[in-house]
Amino acid sequence: MSKKSVLIVDDSLTVRQQVMLALASAGYRILEACDGREGVDAVRSHTEIAMVLCDLNMPNMNGLEFLDTIKGDSAGLPVPVVMLTTDGSPDLIARAKRAGAKGWIVKPFQPDLLLAAVRRIAGDPS
Amino acid sequence: MPGDSNQARLADILSQCTSELLADLGARPERTEPRRQPPSTGQGIAAFSGFGNSELRGSFTLVGPSELFARLHPLPPTMTPRDLADWACELVNQSVGRFRNRLLAYGVNVALSVPQSALAERLRLSSSLRPAPAPIRFSIDDMVLEGWLELEMESGFRLAENPSAEQAVALREGSIVLF
Repeated sequence: MSKKSVLIVDDSLTVRQQVMLALASAGYRILEACDGREGVDAVRSHTEIAMVLCDLNMPNMNGLEFLDTIKGDSAGLPVPVVMLTTDGSPDLIARAKRAGAKGWIVKPFQPDLLLAAVRRIAGDPS
Repeated sequence: MPGDSNQARLADILSQCTSELLADLGARPERTEPRRQPPSTGQGIAAFSGFGNSELRGSFTLVGPSELFARLHPLPPTMTPRDLADWACELVNQSVGRFRNRLLAYGVNVALSVPQSALAERLRLSSSLRPAPAPIRFSIDDMVLEGWLELEMESGFRLAENPSAEQAVALREGSIVLF
């Protein structure tokens, strides 16, 4: 059985590596995108993606624009998105929820808690 | 001057946020006197992020030796200079992100810019403001991390004396909420 894929959309290489370290060892396949625009392309071209972790503050296309774009995209619509950001603003959290986000994580994250959240949203890795 | 008071209190909040972040990364930062530092002799990194709203604009820059950013890096020590520059961006982003979250309790809501960083030899910053604000300095393992906060405020801007329970409270760092 193939592994489930999780897409991490973040302009920080360090954060993408941290997420990979936390999730790949548990058996998830990790795909990476550096900004929202690359994230949209990845969601459209990898239909096997089980879940997206998405930063908010990124160049080219930010996390809320990413959410809005895939919400209006029939190919991207079923993919659950959890925001992973330094921002804890209730207004932004409410806005992301309205745009279809399934959760919100404030950096820095604890790897075991991130893994638990991913299991809850995406299910077991295979 | 109200502006000076605002400046000092905003610098205190940002200093506290940065100190908490460094502690979360396993460092033991100690605030030190803001003396002028000679330029570092080795490779240094400067990373900065801007923030602002209609009344308050500013930027925060973290400056330190590459070795210090490597010491603070959360992943195994296989880092290239590019990795360290990226990490410095994330560090300043998380520091200013905490600052933004704390300001919400004062009724101040700022937007953040995408952070940027630069590597250089013999790096030393100078401020574009006159008088130049004193940098916030942290001593970590015999190395110095400097934080440069530059602020511009509209004349009517006043930071509340204390955080208000009536204001929106930001989700704390490390929190996870699933909808």
